[in-house]
Amino acid sequence: MSLQAVPARYRVASRAAETCDTVTLVLEPVDEPIAPHRPGQFAMLYAFGSGEVPISISGEPGGPGLVYTIRSVGAVTRALCEADPGELIGVRGPYGTDWGVADAAGQDVIVVAGGIGLAPLRPALLAALAARSRYRRVTVLIGTRTPDDLVFAGELDAWREQGADVRVTVDRAAVGWRGHVGVVTQLIDRVNVDPAATLALVCGPEVMMRLTARSLLARGVSSGSVRISLERNMRCGIAECGHCQLGPLLLCRDGPVISYQRAAPLLSVKEL
Amino acid sequence: MNDAVPAPALAEHAFLRGMPADDVARLARAAVAVRLPAGHRLFDEGTPAKKCWLVTSGHVALDLNMPGRANLIIETLGRGDVLGFSWLSPPHQWQFGAEAVESTEAFELDGATVMALCDSHPELGYQLALRFLAAAVRRLQATRIRLLDLYAAPSQSAEAR
Repeated sequence: MSLQAVPARYRVASRAAETCDTVTLVLEPVDEPIAPHRPGQFAMLYAFGSGEVPISISGEPGGPGLVYTIRSVGAVTRALCEADPGELIGVRGPYGTDWGVADAAGQDVIVVAGGIGLAPLRPALLAALAARSRYRRVTVLIGTRTPDDLVFAGELDAWREQGADVRVTVDRAAVGWRGHVGVVTQLIDRVNVDPAATLALVCGPEVMMRLTARSLLARGVSSGSVRISLERNMRCGIAECGHCQLGPLLLCRDGPVISYQRAAPLLSVKEL
Repeated sequence: MNDAVPAPALAEHAFLRGMPADDVARLARAAVAVRLPAGHRLFDEGTPAKKCWLVTSGHVALDLNMPGRANLIIETLGRGDVLGFSWLSPPHQWQFGAEAVESTEAFELDGATVMALCDSHPELGYQLALRFLAAAVRRLQATRIRLLDLYAAPSQSAEAR
């Protein structure tokens, strides 16, 4: 086993509930910290006694601690979500490709998130807002199931104050909700898009990403300017085991972020 | 605001884009520009449906009356959308209610006048029918996607982000 594959011990510094099934953990290193990450990369988180899962890093590079936003959907993620401050978690990484938001310097940036997909996009958005003058319009379109399922709800106003056009739509409105109701692709039809100078970053359920990419292409954005974050069954994180293979790609190495131009032919192949 | 609509302004609306200029000019004679303050109700469920609107800015919520509770919003429409299909077919009654969520601007079209124009100019009727069909298909597709409940928790056997 290579040194890269040995988890570093981190201690849970804080745990904050985002929704009924999603928490944000801030981890502090006990051992030598892992290498600095780039927005969009993931790490393997080891809940000792339960197992290891790939989780995208949701904190900004260089920020205090390592930040992960995790939804409880199985035994390992449940153990991670229930980790109390002070508990130890193993971390390997960071792995994979990044959003490359700096490529959009002088252009518009459109961030489209579905549900928990906002977590991997958050570091890219924070990076764009930290260098706001480098970009033209920064638009954030968020689709979520209900108003109560919105993650980072407490940050949206701050993003707006930093110059982002942030819009949220829900599939099902609660009584009293006065915001948008409908699918996130409908928001794409309502924002200004300069197709020749736009980089779109998209993350969410795979069907949502495909439909979102289709809507962006319909607005004239090229498939090479749409980037999506894919996940498969990442295990080793270092392109050794092959569990995360998608056609010619090993997503732990060649992804998770890839251009839609590259992904589109693969996403339409059944059983791939 | 309740002003006549210049044909070029009407032609710019996404719903009518590409329509022959003569047809747009005819429609413009049946249209007025309206500004709806936040909270303005355009129509209520079960009342006669006589108009439609082409939204140019702001947002309108389609809602459902919930006795004893606040209205439940089922969809919001914004710039580029057409609001109001029920005037087109019997029983010519609104199936939902609609309210401006924020200050909203739109081109308001009188249904009876538009229908008379379509009767006397079938090519205009054909163009409008295609556009209403396309809008209905988009709404249907969006509704189907919402029915998929894409953001629900995946199977408990799967691990995710």
